Amino acid sequence: MAEDIFGQLLDEFGAGVVEHAAQSYLEEPRGTYQSAPMPLIRPHDTQGVSDVVAFCHRHNIAIIPYGGGTGLVGGQTKPDGNAVILSIERLNKIRDIFPTENVIVVEAGMFLADVQAAADSNNRLFPLSLASEGSCRIGGNLATNAGGTQVLRYGNARDLCLGIEAVLPDGTIHHGLRRLRKDNTGYDLRNLLIGSEGSLGIITAAALKLFPKPQETTTALLAVSNVDAAVQLLGMVQDQTGGLVSGFELMHRNGFEFLTETMPTLRQAFDTPPEWSVLLEVSGGADFNLDERVMNVLETAMETELVLDALLAQSQSQRDEFWNLRETIPEANRLIGAISSHDISVPISRIPEFIANTPALLAQFGDIRINCFGHLGDGNLHYNVYPPKGGQKKDFTHLRDDIQRTVHDQVQKFDGSMSAEHGIGRLKVADLETYGDPAKLAAMRAIKFALDPKGIMNPGAVLRND
Amino acid sequence: MKVLVPVKRVIDYNVKVRVKADGSGVDLANVKMSMNPFDEIAVEEAIRMKEAGKVDEIVVVSIGIEKSQETLRTALAMGADRAILVNAADDVHTDIEPLAVAKLLKAVIAEENPGLVLCGKQAIDNDMNATGQMLSALLGWSQATFASEINVDGDSATVTREVDGGLQTIKVKMPAIVTVDLRLNEPRYASLPNIMKAKKKPLDTKTAADLGVDVAPRLSVVKTTEPAERAAGVKVADVAELVAKLKDEAGVI
Repeated sequence: MAEDIFGQLLDEFGAGVVEHAAQSYLEEPRGTYQSAPMPLIRPHDTQGVSDVVAFCHRHNIAIIPYGGGTGLVGGQTKPDGNAVILSIERLNKIRDIFPTENVIVVEAGMFLADVQAAADSNNRLFPLSLASEGSCRIGGNLATNAGGTQVLRYGNARDLCLGIEAVLPDGTIHHGLRRLRKDNTGYDLRNLLIGSEGSLGIITAAALKLFPKPQETTTALLAVSNVDAAVQLLGMVQDQTGGLVSGFELMHRNGFEFLTETMPTLRQAFDTPPEWSVLLEVSGGADFNLDERVMNVLETAMETELVLDALLAQSQSQRDEFWNLRETIPEANRLIGAISSHDISVPISRIPEFIANTPALLAQFGDIRINCFGHLGDGNLHYNVYPPKGGQKKDFTHLRDDIQRTVHDQVQKFDGSMSAEHGIGRLKVADLETYGDPAKLAAMRAIKFALDPKGIMNPGAVLRND
Repeated sequence: MKVLVPVKRVIDYNVKVRVKADGSGVDLANVKMSMNPFDEIAVEEAIRMKEAGKVDEIVVVSIGIEKSQETLRTALAMGADRAILVNAADDVHTDIEPLAVAKLLKAVIAEENPGLVLCGKQAIDNDMNATGQMLSALLGWSQATFASEINVDGDSATVTREVDGGLQTIKVKMPAIVTVDLRLNEPRYASLPNIMKAKKKPLDTKTAADLGVDVAPRLSVVKTTEPAERAAGVKVADVAELVAKLKDEAGVI
C-alpha cells in the first residue's frame, strides 16, 4: 500500500480513525498467512463505515473487513498488503433488546461473549458458542456463518439471525435490521451476506434470536466402544428426551494424549483415556428429570456395550471441567502442530465408515497421528493430521498438500463438505474450485460481479480475484 | 473405624450469584445447587482412607431441606456407605446456623459413634468457617482445621494444616474433628454404575425435632449486597503506552 493512500485516508478521516495497523491485525491464528503492513481504519458507526467504503470504492482501494481476527482460513489477511483493513470493533453497542420477542439487536463489533452475557442478564440464551467466543466479534461470526458446539440444537450463525444492517461495496447502507420471523419479501440479502466472508459487504449490526434459558442440564463424559456406537447413542438419547440433546462431541484418545503431552498438569477425566469418548449434554426445562432420563438411556447403552464407562457431572464445576477438556484440545493441537487440519462434515450416518476407512488412505504418508474430534451431533469433524510423538512438523510439510487432497477427496466421496464451519477464506479457494458445484460457482461469480464490480471487497477470499 | 462426613447442599460454585431484590439474601429459586466443594474433598478423603483399609464405614450426613438427598446420593455414588438426612427446613432460603448444625451433628454422633469426623473447612455459601470448631467444643474432641494432609495412626492423627504463610503439622488425639482444605485431594467423578449402586444404599431421614435440637435462627441478616463492580480494563497499543499508563495513571512504577 503506497504511503500516499495512507495520507489520503488520513486527510479524509483523521488520525482518530486511520492509523498503521499493529502487528496483531496482520496475523492470523494458524500462522499460515501474514499480511504486509496496511492502514487500519476503525470507524465509530455505520455511517462511518459507509463513508470509508464509498471512499475506497471511488478510489479503487481494496478493503479487508475485520472482526475479531480469529478466522482460521486466512480471510482476514492480505499477504501483498494491497488493501486497507476496516475493523468494525468500535461498533460495539447493544442497540435494543426485546426479551418478550426473544430478540437482541447488536452492533457487529460486539464480542460474542458479550452478546451471550447480555442475553444471560435478561434471562435469555444466545446459543452461539465457540472456543474463541471471548475474542471473536458477532459481525465476523455472521460473515463466516460460524458454527460451534450448539449447532445440533440451535443451528449455526445463519439460523440465529433475523435481520442485518450492512454496508454494500459502493458504500450504500442496506437497512435490513428487521426482527421478523416471517418476512418473505424477495431475495434474501441477509442470507447472501451471511457466509460471504466480507466479499459482498460489511455487516454493521444484526437482529439475533434469543431462546429461553434451559433450567436443567445434564452433562456426561462417556467412553464409547466405537464411533458407530456413538452415532447409535445420539439417536437413543434424542428419542428418549424428545430431541433435547444440546451437545454431542466426539473425542479420540489422541486428543487426550496431546493434552497429557502439552499440559501435564491438566486433570484428565478417565484414568486411561478410551479410544473414543463422547461429551454429551442434554438441557431442558425445570423438573424434566433429565438426569434420570439420560441415566436410563445410558444404562441400556452400557448393557448393550455401546457405552463402556460413563461419568456424570454432579455440579456445574464438574460440567465445566468436562467441557474444558473438550475445549482445550484445539490448544493442545496447536502446541503439537498439525501437518494439515481439516474442518469437514459428512452425513452423520456415514461418519463411522468415513472414520474407519480414511486412516488406511493416509498410511502411505508414513508414521503420522490423526486427531479426529468434533461436533458429531451435527456431522462436523475436525480431522487433523500430526507428526508422530517426538516427530517434527517440518519433516512432513512437503506432504501437506497431498494429505489434504487425500482427505478432501475422501470427504467428496462421502457427500461431505471440505469446509464445514471455518469457511473458504484464502486457504480453500482452490478447493472450492475443485470440489464446488460448477453451477453454484458460476452463480457466485455473477453475484460477486453484480454487487462488487470493482472487486474491492476482500479480494482473493472465497473467489479468485482474476 | 467409622467416619462421619457432614455434607451441605449449597449454591453451585460456578453459578453467578444474584442478590434478592429486597436484599434479604441470595436468590436460590431455580438455581443449580451442588455439594459444598470442601465437603466433596472430605468425602473423597474418607473414601481414600477406606480404600487404604483404615476405615470400615463412611456415613454421610446432610442437614437442610428434603432435596439435600440429592447431595447425599452424590456422596454415596462417590463411595460413601450410608446416608442420614436431617430434615431441618422447608424453604431452601432458610439457612441453619453453624451452632444448630453442630448441635444436630453432636446428636447424630451420639447415635453413630464415629472415630473421626471429616468436614469441609467452611461452606461456600455463607463462609462461616465455624461448624467444625463448634462441634469439637460441644463434644470435647480434638480438632485439626484446614487440613492438607491427614494420617490416622491408632489413637492419634497427624494433620498438616494450611496456615498463613506456610504449613503446620500437628498431632491430635482421636476421636477428632478434622476440617479439610482445598489442596487435600481432587474428588473423583461419579460414574453411572456407582450412581446406580448408590440408589440402593440406605438413606435414613430424621428431623431436627427427632434429635431434640431447636434450629430457630439466632442471627438476623441486616443486608446483603453484591460486590462492587470491577472497572473495565483497557487495551494498550504498545509497550511505551503501557509503561506510560503504569507510571502516570496507576502510579506503580
